[in-house]
Amino acid sequence: MRIYDIDKKCYVDIVKYDDPATKAEQLADSLYCYQHNIFKVVYDQSQPALKSYIATLDNALLHEEKMQWLFFTSGTTGTPTGVYKTKQNSYEQAQALIKTFKGMKFDRVVTTVPFVHIYGIDIGGVVPFELDIDIWVKENFLPEELALEAQKEHTLVVTTPLFIKALNRIKKDVKFTNTLFLTSTAPLPAEEAKAFKEHYGASVIQMFASTETGLISYKTDDETILTAYDIVQVSQNNDRLCVSSPLVTKKVINNGVKEDIMLPFQTEDIIEIVNEKRFKLLGRSSNLAKIAGKRISTMQIESLIEHIEGVDAVLIKIRRDDKALKDEILDIYVEGIYVLDAKTVRAELKKALGTIHIPFKIHNNMKILRSSVGKKIGIEQ
Amino acid sequence: MVTTHDLKEKIIAGLGLEDMEPDEIGDDMALFGDDGLGLDSVDAIEITLILEKEFGVKVTNMDENKNIFETPNTLVNYINEQKA
Repeated sequence: MRIYDIDKKCYVDIVKYDDPATKAEQLADSLYCYQHNIFKVVYDQSQPALKSYIATLDNALLHEEKMQWLFFTSGTTGTPTGVYKTKQNSYEQAQALIKTFKGMKFDRVVTTVPFVHIYGIDIGGVVPFELDIDIWVKENFLPEELALEAQKEHTLVVTTPLFIKALNRIKKDVKFTNTLFLTSTAPLPAEEAKAFKEHYGASVIQMFASTETGLISYKTDDETILTAYDIVQVSQNNDRLCVSSPLVTKKVINNGVKEDIMLPFQTEDIIEIVNEKRFKLLGRSSNLAKIAGKRISTMQIESLIEHIEGVDAVLIKIRRDDKALKDEILDIYVEGIYVLDAKTVRAELKKALGTIHIPFKIHNNMKILRSSVGKKIGIEQ
Repeated sequence: MVTTHDLKEKIIAGLGLEDMEPDEIGDDMALFGDDGLGLDSVDAIEITLILEKEFGVKVTNMDENKNIFETPNTLVNYINEQKA
């Protein structure tokens, strides 16, 4: 297998890069580490809060001899969690995923995702590595460009729901014959998946996963029920999804302290079990928004805004807009006489979360209702 | 002839910048990066879709056309050149 850099129109060697400058180099470095069993810490360096947090941690603490990866979650949900994964985790996950291709053969993988988290590395990198097929990468894909690549037969496209929505909107007059699209865990509305299949003739497998659990389940096209991968057992505890599988991490770092993880692993997702292997995703813990593929804690944003001088209290509610590429919008309710403006909020968010632009609407001069223990529960109408 | 005001209205609506008015975005304000409007890569994709839908202009290579995304002025110049 080789890595092809579409921008530079050349193949990139799988070697060690101390300071990878491009997506292709990030991938080459990660695959070199995977191939030679070299432990690697993986995180999104474009997030200032995450970068500063990791800089405070001792390298000797992070290193674990028997582990392949230490993935740091984005930190947009509060304190970043470091999640250890073994090489066997990545390998078994790739094999579990490959089984779901049901005999489809691919000559290459085209990936739109960055290699700074588990999805990019394990699905965009390790899967083609194990299939021994080339990986085509590009710094920034446009929908038109992805359509050109997807037209080449026997292509596996590793992408996100926003590209499926974008391709639906440009409605290019082409077919993606013998091409399969894999998308990550952000929700793709069933009608979008159906429209995509009808127009382009290609299937979309939506994978449901998290850094801690690895792959959990999947659904194809406009299916509404998720099917757990062969090696995954799912159960329920107070409506919450619990996962047992060899892909679940054994160890994490929280607030600089290593913790062992016991099975089953309980997630924030609220589900309804259909049968042993199938379940319906009903929602997730209500204080997490998912914007541009990142889970963002509304409580963290409330806290950031409440630190702005003159703001008494803030309550954030999540509004969905399935048609938008960023399908969740934050309604920010501000208590007090201070009139908060969008520019100030954007500056605060940028300081903490970096270059992710979060769609929001500010509602000033609101009265926030509280429970008897002071928890913010709603807005006085 | 498309004006920067037309473009800004479409960008505000398309990106859900519900708290902004076109006048708050300078014609030479950087659209991306830490200075200026602070849009990100997903917004860039949304803008290409807005150009196609609202103005009938296609952008087919992001890297070769990076400079057109710099400011409202550069985008409008590109739109008007393509429509000429």
